[in-house]
Amino acid sequence: MILDSFKLDGKVAIITGAGRGLGRAMAVRFAQAGADVVAAARTLAELEQTAEQVRQTGRKCLIAQTDVTRSEQVNAMAAAAIKEFGRIDILVNNAGGYHKGMGKRLHELTDEEWREGIDTNLTGQFYCCRAVITQMLEQQGGKIINIASGWGLRGGKNVFAYACAKGAVLQLTRSLAVTYAKKNIYANCIVPGIFEGAAQYFQGGKFIPIGRIGRDAELGPLALFLASNASNHLNGAFITIDGGGLAGGITPTGVFPRLTETAEA
Amino acid sequence: MALNEALKDFSIEGKAALVIGAELPLGAAAAQILAEAGANVMLASQEPGTGDALKELAKKIGALGRKAAVKIQSAITRADLSACVDLTVKQLGSLDIAVNALDVPFFAPAEASDDTAFEKVLENNFKTVWMACQEAGRSMVQHGGGVIVNLTSIMAERGVPNGSLYAAAQAAVLSLTRSLALEWARKGVRVNAIEMGWVEDERSPAVKDEEFAQTLVKYLPEQRLLKPEELGGALLYLVSPAAAYVTGQSVAIDGGLLCRV
Repeated sequence: MILDSFKLDGKVAIITGAGRGLGRAMAVRFAQAGADVVAAARTLAELEQTAEQVRQTGRKCLIAQTDVTRSEQVNAMAAAAIKEFGRIDILVNNAGGYHKGMGKRLHELTDEEWREGIDTNLTGQFYCCRAVITQMLEQQGGKIINIASGWGLRGGKNVFAYACAKGAVLQLTRSLAVTYAKKNIYANCIVPGIFEGAAQYFQGGKFIPIGRIGRDAELGPLALFLASNASNHLNGAFITIDGGGLAGGITPTGVFPRLTETAEA
Repeated sequence: MALNEALKDFSIEGKAALVIGAELPLGAAAAQILAEAGANVMLASQEPGTGDALKELAKKIGALGRKAAVKIQSAITRADLSACVDLTVKQLGSLDIAVNALDVPFFAPAEASDDTAFEKVLENNFKTVWMACQEAGRSMVQHGGGVIVNLTSIMAERGVPNGSLYAAAQAAVLSLTRSLALEWARKGVRVNAIEMGWVEDERSPAVKDEEFAQTLVKYLPEQRLLKPEELGGALLYLVSPAAAYVTGQSVAIDGGLLCRV
């Protein structure tokens, strides 16, 4: 039955950036669907809260305190996952986001700010993919979900390293898809619009076609779809969840051409 | 218990769905999947000769414990589509989900395609979808909401020699999807598309044209054609409350073909 194909029973999922927001929402949803979770992030106290919510569903949660910009820590995270659970079926590359220098114009950016933006939002995803793929090849299958951003598809004023990194995440995903297609390893992207974590900057989402900011919990079902057998054959794709924002954009929301004479004729 | 929690917003239990083009491989697969996930389904066909096949499909849906109704017509006109919508509301109680599986492949050299071909291809693959969206959308806006999914092809994004008209019509469906989504975003109607790769469909050149098919399959990342039922996961996601924040988007199910060089 179709609904059964969304289940994750017996699977093991690593989720980075799992300490809060979208990462926590995905961790809890995966656990509800039957997966054991490896929750990775930098801040231990936040991971403990996520782990508690995962465990409430009856699934196991391994906490892996990890800075994804440090490859030795990422490798240790993958090793810990294999030691604890014996397998890795799903990787969600969710860590990333704000970095120093975001909001600056290009000529104001320092080398360090640029590198931090790229390391946090792109290189970390590369490290994580590299750390899990050997295991996925051995298991003859796996699902990789990379979190990109609307700024990976469109330009942003004073958003440079972040936009470049997120654009590259789409390319990382496509090349993964083409390289491992015959090995049953699927790689896809989620392109989130504005969610709760950034709500304070976006006036309640008035400018979003659907009229509101996304709820963190709304990302869970999309991630579950991409992590489960329900999305087999979907590969190298990106799915946007943004209340219609990227479908438009060439006029401000609510501003559009009025009825013309030719339309009535 | 925990599982129900994870899957509950994928359920479309008791919803009323209209599948237009249910006689085609993708439409039939869509109808079956919607029924499996809990919907009652109106099966609409444009081919007079398909009554038996559709009745067979309706029986399968009935066996799942869902209601199924069949409507066959000789062509897809506005009156037919409007009647489909009315009949769905009348027989199933509402119209919550509409899936447009309308599609008539057409491949021919551009210089040999005349104006009649243009009109036919655009009518079969775009105008019908436009009319179906209008008729379904009108009812959904009136009744406080609904979801439309238009099935199109990855040709909406890439050129295909001899496919100039067909691919343009697919791109038109994708564009239609985006604008309708924005227009109805605050009226509770979501509109999305699924772009299919090369499908196992006897009408497709990927099956019918043996020489082409052999070369094509080697070029595909997974080296196989797509089975119609593989649209199921994406379709269910898009039509269910799980995708409440997704509108104006398309999902390509193509085994990675769009991302290769």
